Amino acid sequence: MGLVARAVEHVGIPTVTVSVVPSATDAFPAPRNLVVRFRLGQVFGEPRARDQQHAVVMDALQALHRITEPGGRIDSPYRWKREEYPPFEP
Amino acid sequence: MGRRFNRLMAAVYTRIPGINEMYVKLSGKKWQDRVEQPQLALPSQLSSVRVGLLTSAGVHLTSQRPFDMHNPEGDATVRVIPGDVSMDDITITHDYYDHAAADIDVNCVFPIERLRELAQKSMIRDVAPRHVGFMGHIFGRQQDELVNHTAGQVADMFLSDGVGAVLASPG
Repeated sequence: MGLVARAVEHVGIPTVTVSVVPSATDAFPAPRNLVVRFRLGQVFGEPRARDQQHAVVMDALQALHRITEPGGRIDSPYRWKREEYPPFEP
Repeated sequence: MGRRFNRLMAAVYTRIPGINEMYVKLSGKKWQDRVEQPQLALPSQLSSVRVGLLTSAGVHLTSQRPFDMHNPEGDATVRVIPGDVSMDDITITHDYYDHAAADIDVNCVFPIERLRELAQKSMIRDVAPRHVGFMGHIFGRQQDELVNHTAGQVADMFLSDGVGAVLASPG
């Protein structure tokens, strides 16, 4: 994933890459990295858990501003189900 | 090894994240060119940014050719997914992680509906007209193809669509 993200950055488009394997992010960092302690296959959260998915998507998008050095990493504080996710009102 | 074995292994390491951690650490592999990461362009306010999705979760349209699960080096081709795609027209082909949850709700790995809701609330400018699905687990010649050809094509497509930021995610 990081290889493709780098190519996208090379043409001038900022990217943020979400990961659930911290050691892989450390070994193969994308230009900007958000590490989430979720399972593979549920990177943005559980099925139909809209609030949870929104929380991760917004954290990732905000990481575009928060990460200021190439290959930088932010760790999400979310603890999967043991979390009160802010309700998203459409 | 057969697809059934790959799926069985995927079910195991999807449920036990520590296995992935251990695998990466024991492999000892890492990129040597970290200092040569691209310069980061500072994005505009999110509310003025068109956002595209890039996922290695094996997401594609039901009408498109599935990713090749028989080549042990993977499949370096990509699938373009329209921004206005119907959820019923999306499927996943990927034997190297357990996508049972994403089969129920593809937003688990490809949050297109979440982006649409953000656009409706003007929290982002809009959703890109085209997004990209490919598969992770790419090695050898397929990885060379991905890096030397496919990745640039993906980047050019986002650029021509006026995409201001890309949200990338694995399976």
